[in-house]
Amino acid sequence: MPQVTDEYLIFALACAAIALVNLRLLFRERVTLQGSMSYFAFLLVLGLMGVFPYQTAVLARRLGFTLMSNFLFCTAIAALAILHLRSLVTISRIQLRSITLTQELAILQEKLDRLEGASVTPAVRDRRA
Amino acid sequence: MRLLIIIPAYNEEQSLAGLLSEIRSLREPDTEIETIVVDDGSADRTTDVARANGARVLRLCRNLGIGGAVQSGLRLARRENFDFAVQVDGDGQHPPGELKHLLALARRDPAPDLVIGSRFLTKPDPTSFRSTITRRVGIWWLKVLLRLTRLKVTDPTSGFRLYGKRALRLFDANYPYDFPEPEALAVARAARLSIAEASVKMRERQGGTSSIGPFAAVYYMLKVTLAVLLTYVRAPRKIPEGSDAASD
Repeated sequence: MPQVTDEYLIFALACAAIALVNLRLLFRERVTLQGSMSYFAFLLVLGLMGVFPYQTAVLARRLGFTLMSNFLFCTAIAALAILHLRSLVTISRIQLRSITLTQELAILQEKLDRLEGASVTPAVRDRRA
Repeated sequence: MRLLIIIPAYNEEQSLAGLLSEIRSLREPDTEIETIVVDDGSADRTTDVARANGARVLRLCRNLGIGGAVQSGLRLARRENFDFAVQVDGDGQHPPGELKHLLALARRDPAPDLVIGSRFLTKPDPTSFRSTITRRVGIWWLKVLLRLTRLKVTDPTSGFRLYGKRALRLFDANYPYDFPEPEALAVARAARLSIAEASVKMRERQGGTSSIGPFAAVYYMLKVTLAVLLTYVRAPRKIPEGSDAASD
């Protein structure tokens, strides 16, 4: 295992920068706090790895990684895959609800149109036509 | 007997007037027929043409695709307690005059839950409309695939279908959204619906263009293959219980 240097702090800073972007999006109400929690957790774990490289190197060695960079990449890819899967579930659920809502809206609108049509007197109907 | 004709339509202003005029001239004994056009977010005058020709209109505020449009109509049919619903494509490929063959099967005792209008049940008339060779190969593959679910149908991609009350209950709750026809058959099979086929003639589309291009066709085959296999290995679906007139 090569010696771990403070260069990993750059990695931690990059995580902090992304977290700040996420926070900015939160303040602007472009993303929800609920949806961002797992992303913050992901950034926190990666950031801690950058801040404590020696402890991370020990952990990587125990898990069988010869290079710490491989360990970081593997952790990041696995975490991103989990986040993506979570997003996929959320998007699919929203998509299904959106379809149902669109259908319900159309059914209600049709019903409303018929009720309005039935309540309008022939004279008013002629005038509208 | 009450029958709802569901016409999913996306930019079908050219073919719709002729189709609705044919439907108006339909006479079926002891059958009260209503027609609903499901305008799937069209950018043209589909809604106006449908209303001008006396049809009810469900106007979807965004394009849901054929599955979402058909399910809207099926949902309405169930809520308004129709005995049957028939899906007729808005492009005019399904001649309303052929509806009598589907209804004849539906009037049998016991009646099947789902009747498919098939182009291939009898030897094709050389003068009638035939699909392209690519489509026929696709249909052959889907037939083989559906055999895995022990379902023998000759025309799995036909959208000319009649739904009985049990089928309405099932598809109200669960209908595939894109390229739905073969997958809907697998869903129906998994829910143990009885399925029958009636021989019908179809014709070329009377206007508009097909939504399935060459790339979409490849996606179609992959998606449908996967969907049918998934439906096969999944636990059997239950038909929702409850009143047919669910919320009206």
